[in-house]
Formats: sequence, structure tokens, C-alpha cells
Amino acid sequence: MQLIELFKSAIQSLKANKKRSFLTIIGIMIGIAAVIAILGIGDGITKTMYDKFGNNAKQGQQTTEIAYDPDNINSAVYGFTQEQVDDINTQFGGEVKKVEIEQETDNLSTQADVGDTTTKVSLSLLKKPTHAIKLIAGKNFTKQDLATGQANALMSESMAKKQYGTAQNALGTTVTVNNVTYKVTGVYKTQAQFTADGDQNSYGVNLLLPKALYYQENSVKEGDTLKLTFSQGANASAISRKVAKYLKKNSPAATQGTYQYLDMEKALKQFSSQMSIITTFISFIAAISLFIAGIGVMNMMYISVSERTQEIGIRLAVGATPFNIMMQFLVEAVILTLTGGLLGFLGGAGLAHLLAPLLSNAIGGGSGIHIHAHVSLNAFLLAFGTSAAVGLIFGILPARQAANKNLIDILR
Amino acid sequence: MITLKNINKYYQQGNHRFHVLHDINIEIDQGELVAIIGESGSGKSTLINIIGFLDDDFEGTYFYQDQPIHDYTRKQFSTLRNRNVGFVFQNFKLLRESTVADNVALPLLYAGKRRKEISSRVSEVLKQVGLAGYENQLPKNMSGGQQQRVSIARAISTHPKFLIADEPTGALDTETSQEIMNLFKHLNKQEGTTIIMVTHDPHVAEQCERVIKIIDGRVVSDSKDGELHATD
Repeated sequence: MQLIELFKSAIQSLKANKKRSFLTIIGIMIGIAAVIAILGIGDGITKTMYDKFGNNAKQGQQTTEIAYDPDNINSAVYGFTQEQVDDINTQFGGEVKKVEIEQETDNLSTQADVGDTTTKVSLSLLKKPTHAIKLIAGKNFTKQDLATGQANALMSESMAKKQYGTAQNALGTTVTVNNVTYKVTGVYKTQAQFTADGDQNSYGVNLLLPKALYYQENSVKEGDTLKLTFSQGANASAISRKVAKYLKKNSPAATQGTYQYLDMEKALKQFSSQMSIITTFISFIAAISLFIAGIGVMNMMYISVSERTQEIGIRLAVGATPFNIMMQFLVEAVILTLTGGLLGFLGGAGLAHLLAPLLSNAIGGGSGIHIHAHVSLNAFLLAFGTSAAVGLIFGILPARQAANKNLIDILR
Repeated sequence: MITLKNINKYYQQGNHRFHVLHDINIEIDQGELVAIIGESGSGKSTLINIIGFLDDDFEGTYFYQDQPIHDYTRKQFSTLRNRNVGFVFQNFKLLRESTVADNVALPLLYAGKRRKEISSRVSEVLKQVGLAGYENQLPKNMSGGQQQRVSIARAISTHPKFLIADEPTGALDTETSQEIMNLFKHLNKQEGTTIIMVTHDPHVAEQCERVIKIIDGRVVSDSKDGELHATD
């Protein structure tokens, strides 16, 4: 008998008993959906964490950061200067691929000429227009301004008032930072220096400048964050730790602050191993539900076999082999579970995508961590394979019973 | 074509062992129209099941076209049935939820035929039994006579060497019975199909060329021999 006929007749038989088939499918669907949703969210969390904090082991290289924390927050001492960069290059040249001072964008403090006076200002650099500030006079940056490096600046209301009396007066004046003169095109409402969480507020500064222009001369001379790049396969964490230790000992700035290497990779590994324990545990529970659903399939197939004894007899009489009969019932069982599995995969993927954002909120929407569910091809194959396997395992006994029925007993 | 020698058949029922068939010796040739008659419980259905390869559990030897059927496995029986025998049952044994065409196509499907061949063959045999155009009807909406015609169409769809009919008119009224008998006679005369039927209807039996009578599992008469004689 040809395979396609087998499928046709199986689908026909399943359709003849729609309600029962539907209920059985639901059993499998719930089990698979639960597994896929849990795996999707679990993978999503792990992946998000790695993307955010990991050594970015993509494009064949890894990066780590060493931060310098000055004891006095207002001090003008930088943790890293060209001197340190050269120093590290000579000391660790073989192990570190590239050393650079991070182009910091938030809460820089520097000297600036505002109008006629030279004063110490705080500033943040923007790569794209922000809506976190409220303009009182003039206009906000446009995307184009920032992309083309227009020498425009936004000034805080408090600075504008201090220097020019009113916000309106400040428009059109100039500020000069690092020998670049910017024209003030907008004044925004002053924000607090710290956020409610106690972090530094990047908009609680005197000036907002375009990043492209500020770092026009791309090599940064000094900063508080050092970015190390390693080739893939290097033990980035260990080397970074050594570099931090070296800096603590040898850098002149070490007396006025601390160098710190936060080994995110290590924390992440712990985190992901914990995640996988949780995922395994919940998957185990889901497997139990699949097992129960499988028993449901078996139950239904047994009922089906005994209900269709006459049909089996007729088929055997007209020349079906016992193998034909077994295949027919097995195919029915597998079609049931596969349908359930595929629906469950869709349901589970949908559920994961629905739940992940809620989870992000629960973790803390302000932290900027957005968890996206990650439903992989592996998850699909898992759903497909598991449901097919459930169909085969729980279908084989009823199918064999059907195949081994005694023809004479049926026809009598 | 069919040669049964010393066939014995027992049924196990609890601790009791019933001896259903006693030393049956029958030969049936190609093209015969045979009726097996007897009281109910005489073992005639059991005999016809053995002849039609439905029952492989018997003692004695059965040669079908010189093949030793008694040595065959269950799977070989399936193939043998599919290729050589058509079955007509008293209660039709049609798949009630499937269309007439699907019912008739069933043996062809198991024979591994292609869909195209199948549908043309189905139309052909339906026409032969006088049900042309009934392809998409459901058996449950048809009369008993029509259902029996469908089952005959199914039986002859694979060009079987012989037909086995177990009380083919048992569930039909006299008039319909005669129609079905006419159909059988036609198949036997025109197509040369060997037909072996079990019946307890004397009107049906007297239309057959050869009548084998069975009482209590023994052949007591065979009209082919031209005389009635007891085997024991």
C-alpha cells in the first residue's frame, strides 16, 4: 500500500472522530507548549545576559573592560592615559590584541569656554536625538545634525541663566570645548545630577554635544574606562584580571582611585548554570505532562482499535497484511501527536514571546535589560522529535494489538 | 484448482475441544459454481473460511494451484487472499463511513495499485454489478441489495481467481436474493469466475451446478459425483 494512501486513510479516520482526536491533540499540545515556552524564555534570558555583559565573543574576538573609580568623584585625574595604554601594550602585548581607552559618552567633566568665561563644565555626548530632555528654547538635535557632525550644542537651563540671564539669550552663543566651537541651538530644562536609583544621570549635565564631532580625532587621550580586545580562544578573564592587578601596582592614578575588573563572564557562567538547573527541573515536570498526554494517546488508540474491530477484519480479509494494519494505527497516532507537537510549538513560542517582556519588567524595566524569548531551531526539532516519539512509543502497543487480531474471531 | 485432503478443524472452548470438521476431502475446479449447504453449526462457514485463506489454523493438507497452503505464514496468507480471493459476506462488511468507491478500492490499494488505475477499475466493476455512478454514495444510505452489490464489486475488483460467498443472500428478501444470484451466475458464466458459496436457502442452492452438503462437520453428499453418499 502506498504511503500517501496510508496518510489519507489515517486522516479520514481521525476526522471521523473529531472531538476525541482534538482532545488528544490538546494533551500533547500543552506538554510541548510548556517545554518550548520554558526553553524559549530560559535561552532568551541567558542569551540576553551574555549579549549585554559577556565578553562579546562574536566576530572572532572578545572584549573586556577595566574601570577606574576615582576616590573623589570631582577629581580631574583620569585612570587611563596614553601612557598607561603604551605601558599595557608593552607588558601584555602578546596576550592582548588591542588596548584602547573607551570613548566615554556620559558625564564627562572638562574645561570649556562659555561665551567669554572659561569654566569647568559637565557634558554628555549624544549619538542619536533623545527625548529624555525637555526643550525650553530653540530646537532639539535632529538625527542629521548628529550624523553629519554639525557643531551644535544643547545647554542646560541653569547654565544658560547663570551665563546669559535667560534661556532665550543663550541661543546663538558659542561654547568651545577641546578647541572645537559649538553653537548653542537649544536650551533644556535642568535635570538632577543623580537618578532616583542613585546612578549618575547622563542628562543632568551642563552641555549635550554630538559624539561624532567630539571624538573627531578618534584616538582618545584619556578616560576612566579601558577596553581590551582579545582574539578568540584567549583567556580574556584571566588576562584582564592580571592587567587590572598590574595597573593597581604601577599606575600613578592608583593612589587616587581604584582599578577594577568586573569579571562578568564568571558571573554569567554561574548564572547560566543556575538557569539550566531551573530549566532542566521545569522541563522534567513538562516531560511528566507529556508522559500523561502519551498515555492519553495510548488510551484513545486502544479504544479506537476495539471500536474498529470490524474495519480491521474487513481490511485483513481483502488482503491487508498485519504490518499494513499496524502501520495504519501507528500513522494515526503519530499524526495526532505531531499535530499536537507543532501546535504546541507555535503556542509555546507565542507564550515565550508574550511572557519575556513581562519578565523584563519584573526584573526592572529601568535597568534597560530587555529579555527577548529565544526559540531556536533546536527547540523546533525538539518539539517535532518529542511529539513524533510520543506517538510512536504510545502508539505501538495499540497498533500491534490491532495487527494481531484474529481474523476469524472478527468475522464470525 | 483447490484440493482439500483430510482437513480436520478443532475449536478450543474453555477445556472443551470441539471437533468441527472431520476429514474433509474436496476438489474444486476452475469455473465451478459450488454451493455448500448444511444446518447452522454444521461447520460450513468454517470450511469456507479455510478454503478462502481466512483461517490458517487447521490440520490436513490444502493445495491451491499446487501450492501447499497449509505451510504458509500469516503474511503470505494476506497476499494470497489479496491476489486470489474475493469475499462476499452475509452482512456485507462494508466500511460504512467510507464512500462506495473507497470500499471497492480497498483491495486494489492493498495490492499496491496506482490511484489512476484504481479509479478506472472501480467505475468498471461498479458498472458490472449495475451500480454505475454510485461512486460517492455512502453504503449506510443504500438498500441491502445495493450494499451486497457493492461488496460483490469489491470482491471482483482485483480479478480474483475465485469468490467466496458466505450466505450472500441471507439478509435479503427473495426478489433481491434472485438478483444477486443472477449476478453470481452471470459472473460465473460470462467471466468464468469460480464461485463457492455457503447457503441454507434451497432456492439458491438449486441454481448452483454443484451442491456439497455438510452435516456435523462431515461431507454427506456431493452432487458432482451424481449420487448422494455418506463419507463415513
